[in-house]
Amino acid sequence: MFKSLIEKNEKRSQLSIMAQYLNTSFMISTIENEYLVNIEKGVVKNVEEGPFVMPSYVFKLTAPKNEWIKFLQHIPEPGSHDIIAMLRRKVLKFEGDLHPLMSHLLYFKLLLASLRPAESKNEN
Amino acid sequence: MKIEKEPISGQYGKFKIDGIDFRIYWEEAGQGIPLVCLHTAGSDGRQYRALLNDKKILKKFRVIVFDMPWHGKSSPPENAKVGNYKLSTDFYISQIMSFINGLELVKPVVMGCSIGGRIILHLAINFPDKFRALIGLQSAGHLDPYYDISWLHRQDVHGGEVCGGIAYGLMAPTSPESDKFETMWHYMQGGPGIFKGDLFFYKFDGNIGNEIKKIDNSKCPIYLLTGEYDYSATPEETKSLADTIGIEMIKMKNVGHFPMSENPKEFLKYLHPVLNKIS
Repeated sequence: MFKSLIEKNEKRSQLSIMAQYLNTSFMISTIENEYLVNIEKGVVKNVEEGPFVMPSYVFKLTAPKNEWIKFLQHIPEPGSHDIIAMLRRKVLKFEGDLHPLMSHLLYFKLLLASLRPAESKNEN
Repeated sequence: MKIEKEPISGQYGKFKIDGIDFRIYWEEAGQGIPLVCLHTAGSDGRQYRALLNDKKILKKFRVIVFDMPWHGKSSPPENAKVGNYKLSTDFYISQIMSFINGLELVKPVVMGCSIGGRIILHLAINFPDKFRALIGLQSAGHLDPYYDISWLHRQDVHGGEVCGGIAYGLMAPTSPESDKFETMWHYMQGGPGIFKGDLFFYKFDGNIGNEIKKIDNSKCPIYLLTGEYDYSATPEETKSLADTIGIEMIKMKNVGHFPMSENPKEFLKYLHPVLNKIS
């Protein structure tokens, strides 16, 4: 679900400029699965899919899979269009050391939103 | 080269607010019924740039937008210190009333968004006879904190970056990217701790509770409009407010928390009929 966050062909080079001093690892959880994302100088270098035995990461974003699916629609519905909107609905939890996330909030929002399809598919 | 001039003029003036001198900047355009517009927390009057350029509105209304003290081109007071700013309900009311009295506006319409959408409720409770009408954009009677606002002002996080990131998410994915960017940019230009200081009013001091029942719509007509993508003041919360006051709310499609700035074209479709009723 989140494997395609790995940078290919510098398609997110503009986004990386917004986080050019950021080196971190964070976990995305869909409850049933986990994705460990490694970022170096604002570039996603690696995404590992769980299960993990002893994962090491700085912070973790947890939401049920169906909520991530709603977030990743071409045009998400109100309340699913932003990670803070999901936080507000209490369907997403932020955990750990949130400094890398909050100091690069727009970067992380746009990074996750970059997985949305450019055009609408039949979403039903 | 010929430039495309806008009909807006800007001015500075000294206003006494609660006994203290403040240098305030405001912009205005049009003539007729005074329409004072209040910007959101942590931003400034540029949010109303489309209204100040809307020919239809300017024929009947004198649109006036001031930057709150500490915001935009308005100054902080003398002896100000970084980190001390906290917007209280009383100070917010005082600055609005000082501005209106200073410009000798008679029975203006006041329209506010977000914190402005909250303060118009306080105006309706305290001074219903002073206004021709009140318009609340993204109004809610109270807001329980849903994220830790200390992130908005700490020295190890760039305030402009984090405030912009917060504001960006409050807009609709369907709003034009250029208007969304400009709206976010205003947040990125705010002073340290100002957005957070405004939220003291929005999330704590300005919560209304049962006082809302004191609003009498027959004394001063109130109009409430809320964008469907707003998760700060949700349409459901505005609806509950409207039900208590006994009025209909208008839910705006395809906009979020900053209708007048993030998608002016869409917003004006909803605002024009309201202003027609008022005029």
